[in-house]
Amino acid sequence: MNASRQSSRLAAWLPRLVVAPSLLIVLVTVYLFIAWTGVISVTSSKFVPVYDFVGLEQFARLWATPRWHIAVENLFIFSTLFLAISIGLGLLMAILLDQHVRAEGFLRAVYLYPMALSFIVTGTAWKWVLNPGLGIQKVVNDLGWATFRFDWIADPQMAIYTVVIAGVWQSSGFAMAIFLAGLRGIDNSVIKAAQIEGASLPLIYRQIIIPMLRPAMLSVVVLLSYIAIKSFDLVLALTNGGPGAATELPSTFMFSATFRRNQMGVGAASAVMMLMTVAAIIVPYLYSELRERNNG
Amino acid sequence: MAEAISTLPSPSPAPGSGRVTKTDETPRYNRAWIGRLFIYATLIAMAAAYLMPLWVMVTTSLKPLEEIYGGSFIGFPQNFTLDAWRVAWSQACIGTECTGLKPYFVNSLLIVIPAVVLSTGIGAINGYILTKWRFPGANLVFGLLLFGCFLPYQAILIPMARTLSLIGLAGSIPGLILVHVSYGICFTTLFFRNYFVTLPDDLTKAALVDGAGFFRIFWSIILPTSIPIIVVSCIWQFTQIWNDFLFGVSFTSGAHSPITVALNNIVNVTTGRKQYNIDMAAAMIAGIPTLLVYIVAGRYFVRGLTAGAVKG
Amino acid sequence: MSKIFAGLVAAVMLMPVGARAQGAIEVMHHWVAESEIEALSVIRKGVEAKGFQWKDSAVGGMSGANVQQALRARLTAGDPPGAMQFLGWEGVQWAEQNVVRDLNDQAKAGGWRNALPPQLLPFLTAQETFIAAPINMHRQNWVWANKKIFDDAGIPIPKSWPELIQAGRKLKERGVIPLAMGDESWQVEVIFDALLADLNGPEFYRKTAIDLDPKALGSREMVKVFDMLREVRGLVDANFVGRDWAVATGMVINGQAAMQVMGDWAKGEFLAKGLKPNKDFYCFPTPAPVTSFQYLIDSFGMFKVKDPAVQKAQIALAETVMDPAIQKRFNLIKGSIPARTDVPVDEFDDCAKLAFKDRAEAIAKGGMIGAMTHGFASRPEFAAVFGDVAGQFFVGTMSSDEAVKMLVQGIENAR
Repeated sequence: MNASRQSSRLAAWLPRLVVAPSLLIVLVTVYLFIAWTGVISVTSSKFVPVYDFVGLEQFARLWATPRWHIAVENLFIFSTLFLAISIGLGLLMAILLDQHVRAEGFLRAVYLYPMALSFIVTGTAWKWVLNPGLGIQKVVNDLGWATFRFDWIADPQMAIYTVVIAGVWQSSGFAMAIFLAGLRGIDNSVIKAAQIEGASLPLIYRQIIIPMLRPAMLSVVVLLSYIAIKSFDLVLALTNGGPGAATELPSTFMFSATFRRNQMGVGAASAVMMLMTVAAIIVPYLYSELRERNNG
Repeated sequence: MAEAISTLPSPSPAPGSGRVTKTDETPRYNRAWIGRLFIYATLIAMAAAYLMPLWVMVTTSLKPLEEIYGGSFIGFPQNFTLDAWRVAWSQACIGTECTGLKPYFVNSLLIVIPAVVLSTGIGAINGYILTKWRFPGANLVFGLLLFGCFLPYQAILIPMARTLSLIGLAGSIPGLILVHVSYGICFTTLFFRNYFVTLPDDLTKAALVDGAGFFRIFWSIILPTSIPIIVVSCIWQFTQIWNDFLFGVSFTSGAHSPITVALNNIVNVTTGRKQYNIDMAAAMIAGIPTLLVYIVAGRYFVRGLTAGAVKG
Repeated sequence: MSKIFAGLVAAVMLMPVGARAQGAIEVMHHWVAESEIEALSVIRKGVEAKGFQWKDSAVGGMSGANVQQALRARLTAGDPPGAMQFLGWEGVQWAEQNVVRDLNDQAKAGGWRNALPPQLLPFLTAQETFIAAPINMHRQNWVWANKKIFDDAGIPIPKSWPELIQAGRKLKERGVIPLAMGDESWQVEVIFDALLADLNGPEFYRKTAIDLDPKALGSREMVKVFDMLREVRGLVDANFVGRDWAVATGMVINGQAAMQVMGDWAKGEFLAKGLKPNKDFYCFPTPAPVTSFQYLIDSFGMFKVKDPAVQKAQIALAETVMDPAIQKRFNLIKGSIPARTDVPVDEFDDCAKLAFKDRAEAIAKGGMIGAMTHGFASRPEFAAVFGDVAGQFFVGTMSSDEAVKMLVQGIENAR
């Protein structure tokens, strides 16, 4: 891009100058701090940071901790289900809302509101709803279906799925909003053409509309992955990692190792593991995406 | 995913999307009433499920405490009372200061408003540079910013505390604003960059030829077109910052704390009796601004996400 | 619009950064419950009566982990509060970092050493230097019972855990939940701590929970502890998930449940209902041949600060905390007993009087042991392993042998 001759020098440098402070902030608050965490992970830090070198001892300790294995397994279960169900429900709600329904604005607000509330706020309510003696199970039992059981939150094998439920509740509305935006962006002449050719509505959705939502779908995947990896309040408020350690996630593990268990080195090691996982997913995509744009 | 990154709340130019806006005059499909029934039944059932926790919170906040401890956790209040709301707002004790949530509500506003404005503003100008004034290494800068979105914040509390003290902002509201802006930039830059990347370059090129400069183009050409994405960015940032607890509890204290920290102190009682009705009322009060933002700006939210496709 | 923002930003920027008024002290603590706040106000008023200003920094939740995190950020930033409420080893650990002020002058003048049980000193001193002033002492190993249920069923106060289990089974047949509790790890750990000392004696508790002796940790005695914990599980109802301890206490009060094993903060729940010890409810120590006294104390430590006004306020706070009259008033509200052993007992209720008596005995006979659940045994990285194992064992289907194995490995891994 070329500016007028006199100011071409300035014009060339001005954008860089303006973006520089942001870059500097991020270099410090993201990358320098990541580096610090990396350093701590190879020290014997417990209560406060110490700067010695113990090699990979903290990583060995981390992987010898059963709680960490639970956390990693849970992250896998949680993020897979959380993404799949949020996307499915979000898409369903968006498609239904897009059928010229009455009170669309109200319904949209209802589906979106959970995103607005912090789990410090909604955790207790969810605890009661899921508690077999107080919530859904009791209500259904009282209605006459005495054998109905919904006690996942009490079952170490099932508790992580209650975290999925609460997570989906919070975020599926957000997925809905992005899908709805995607649907509104689709040109309906395409659909009309298909209808004229006699295609049925489900077929139109399956074969034409949903494939056209691909960009929206991918946006949803990125934002929901971000939410899944960072889930923290959700678990603390709902189960506090319990029953036992059944709903521990890497983020809660990291927090309790650092601030509750005096294992700052182990906490840093778990942070490094998390960052490496994120990098392994993000960096290749980023690379291919930005290359494409350069070429194009 | 590659495209995802570029089409986050962005004007998604889906392949094959045309320039025709949908209109309401013709129902797209003739469907039997059974179909309509199915649609409404599903939507209403889901709405009911989504509202359930809110129902629990609202009814609990309207019950006297004795009724709750008597075993009524879910269900309609028998002795309706607004006391819990009054106590939560102006009398509940946060430590030995029995001021209710009121002063912390103000703190949160003092934190959120500058932080949202600053991070959105910086994000807008970054997005503008990264799309319309591309320089060698611009992609690298964008990549570096983007990765910051995924940082687990639990890991960086201690170096951040050290940094804040080095620049003299430890334990203060400006310090907390700085933290929120720092990590907010990653998201806002992403939002704006992906929005601006779809604006035609002709616009800026023409303005350049006319002699408009860097800032002039931003102010009078780019910014006016970006209201939808500004709304998206503000909603996202407002929600994230208002609901933040981790940074608030780490980088402020006592009377400077944001509302989530005060709320935590009301709610998170371990060796005392929980006052569930006050907890819930406090929780609702703390949630009202974000709820309002979603309800009032919610329509613009979806519109903001859609806008680009309509305009092309 | 932009003017408003500009004004707002300016207003924020002008706000004082950690402003300190003359003679003001910032006190950081995690007391947020009603009775806790009321008790703390006794100290606050005492400090204010000496002419100093009190600045309150409360951070509740996560069993004190939140306040620990906040404190660490503050100390890292070089901006510590004037005083901090310490639990367990926290004070000593900060003293090891050389950031805690010594209170030796005050201790000497106030005769602290003679007024306090010697078992507390490891938590209050670092290399013979006093670094914290204790206000109270809770006892963790109590059983709270509904008297009417016990009397109706003709059940005497159990003298051993097998007797307690027997009584529980009988109550279960009568349609009462024998034991009220929640599934939180710490609530399980309260029972685990009690079993550790009650089944095998305080010496075993010291060897395992404090000294972390690998042989004792992997012994048959430890298996017995888990076996009994499994029996205890049988006395709890299915809806114990996410139940707060105070809700469990409420179940004992309203007759849904017969007993609860909980520290003496539970007493406040009974008293708040106007119930009287030994008339409406029983309080007795967890049953054992040798009764132990599992204590936890709250103390206040002072951080090193430069401001002489704050330093003066710190002295005032330390003196207030150690004032016998303040300790009496504080503990009458909090449900605990004074940390000092020279406070008159007349005004306390029967449960507290029993605690005074048991404490004197325990000090003499070696039954004073720190409550692991609240950080008064081994350091946090080890105590957390006990909590993990007990918590997972209780809610799951692990065998006692597996639990012991997990415990031994967990402790090894944390070393």
